[in-house]
Amino acid sequence: MTASRRSGWNSLLLSGLLAASPAWADELAGPRYQIQGFAAQGLIGSTHNNFFGDSRDGVSTRFTEAGLHGSWQALDAVRLSGQVLYRQAGESDQDGLRADYAQADWQFYQTEASQLGLKFGKVKLPYGLYNETRDVPFTRSGILLPQSVYVDNSRDLLLAAPGAFLHGASVQPYGAFDFLLGWVRPDFDSSSVEYSFLGNIRPGTLKGQGALGARLRWDLPTDTTLMLTHADARADYSPGTGDTLTAGKVRFRNLLLTVQQRFDTVTLTAEYGEPRFDNTGFGPYFPSSHRTIQAGYLQGEWRFLPAWELMLRHDFFYRDKRDKNGHLFALTTGLPAHSMFARDTTLGLRWDTTPNLMLRAEFHHVDGTGWLPGPDNPVFIDREQRWNMWLLQAAYRF
Amino acid sequence: MPHAYFFFRRLVLLIFLLSPLAALGGIIVNSDVEAQRISIASLRNIYTLRQTLWPNRQPIVVFVLPDDHPVNVAFAKEKLGLYPYRLRQTWDRMSFSGMASAPIQVKDENEMRARVRATPGAIGYTSKDMVYDGIKTLRLE
Repeated sequence: MTASRRSGWNSLLLSGLLAASPAWADELAGPRYQIQGFAAQGLIGSTHNNFFGDSRDGVSTRFTEAGLHGSWQALDAVRLSGQVLYRQAGESDQDGLRADYAQADWQFYQTEASQLGLKFGKVKLPYGLYNETRDVPFTRSGILLPQSVYVDNSRDLLLAAPGAFLHGASVQPYGAFDFLLGWVRPDFDSSSVEYSFLGNIRPGTLKGQGALGARLRWDLPTDTTLMLTHADARADYSPGTGDTLTAGKVRFRNLLLTVQQRFDTVTLTAEYGEPRFDNTGFGPYFPSSHRTIQAGYLQGEWRFLPAWELMLRHDFFYRDKRDKNGHLFALTTGLPAHSMFARDTTLGLRWDTTPNLMLRAEFHHVDGTGWLPGPDNPVFIDREQRWNMWLLQAAYRF
Repeated sequence: MPHAYFFFRRLVLLIFLLSPLAALGGIIVNSDVEAQRISIASLRNIYTLRQTLWPNRQPIVVFVLPDDHPVNVAFAKEKLGLYPYRLRQTWDRMSFSGMASAPIQVKDENEMRARVRATPGAIGYTSKDMVYDGIKTLRLE
């Protein structure tokens, strides 16, 4: 089974992007095309649990990322951009090549200090600091992003979706402001998303309904970034043949707070949110639930030499705010309590060997299995609470 | 920890000392750009891709040298008050998300001058604060 069953949206948008006719009438004199890309390969080893392949007591090579990004300034006010992505991540992502996004951005108001625009197509979703470029290794703070906030289990939901965003930016003496406000139809239809919302892969399909997304960003003159992201997404379930579930609904809401302070060569970052999950109408075998997650991390990055960076992070994730240590969950289900939380302490090292090549090493000590990828660890009771993981990654860009 | 920090500061200083021309660098623009001077804030906004138009609404075309080029390191730190890696991070986030084009990278100062001379609305920088034919030097204030 592939991890995602996509519609024809991707190919349609991509061919539209490539077929659009050129227009050279206006002022911009620089090159109107830009092509850039990257390719990265990871090695993962771990104790007790698997992460992206058979990493337990061995080495998994099944973490590969590559992307080709293109943008075209079709008119001074219109930019088309898109990305083709190849990604493999153990059992959790075996889709290989895919169209990541393809969007048109029309900047209908531009002055020296302000812009207002509308982007539409299959658009990148704003979510916290890293989501829009989460697959570009160079833009991440580690080989893995903090799994509490950027859960790779639900990545399909957060990546990109058909819809439209109004966006604006303004530079003022007291800082730079950005906002994005939009409506999209997110992709709930993947096995890993089903895993996180419905606890297992189900015979039916989850179909995304409308979702509202908004982000406010304020970059202060003190090298401080403050950001608020709001997301509200819904999906309907259509039962399959022989399904024990009835046609239910799921809803995901979150308000994510981001704070970043940059000092000379040190960057301190914190993000925190309490995503709310609601499941209703799935029938007697899957009781309705309303739970509030607690997710956040604290992170420090230090460029101790121009090409070397050290990263230390503490990341926490509680699947149910009212049952943090999972005792209630264990009592009512008989399943291990440690699947209800995860606390991850990470130490990472980055070396920008050349402007085109980056090498990274990372160590994680994890207490809990809250965000452990389900497809890589299918036997629930075999999962262990305390586990370690190391990762190496080489990433090339052009 | 403080030792490594001071080592880093000393290294940056060393780069400046080894390339004495770099510290004197000038901001260059295409001769059709109307401005005579530019503020540090404005220069920083242009190089972090926040300001995309000149005051007369002509689109700005931004040129840069490679990240590890000594003149780029000096320009980023001295003129913009940013480390080159922070600039690169900003460009990557803006460009890979489709919000803006990354600056155009040239291989050396000769190419920088040639491209700025030939490109309407262009901005760039050089190690020498001197007058070149067909290029305008902006006063930084």
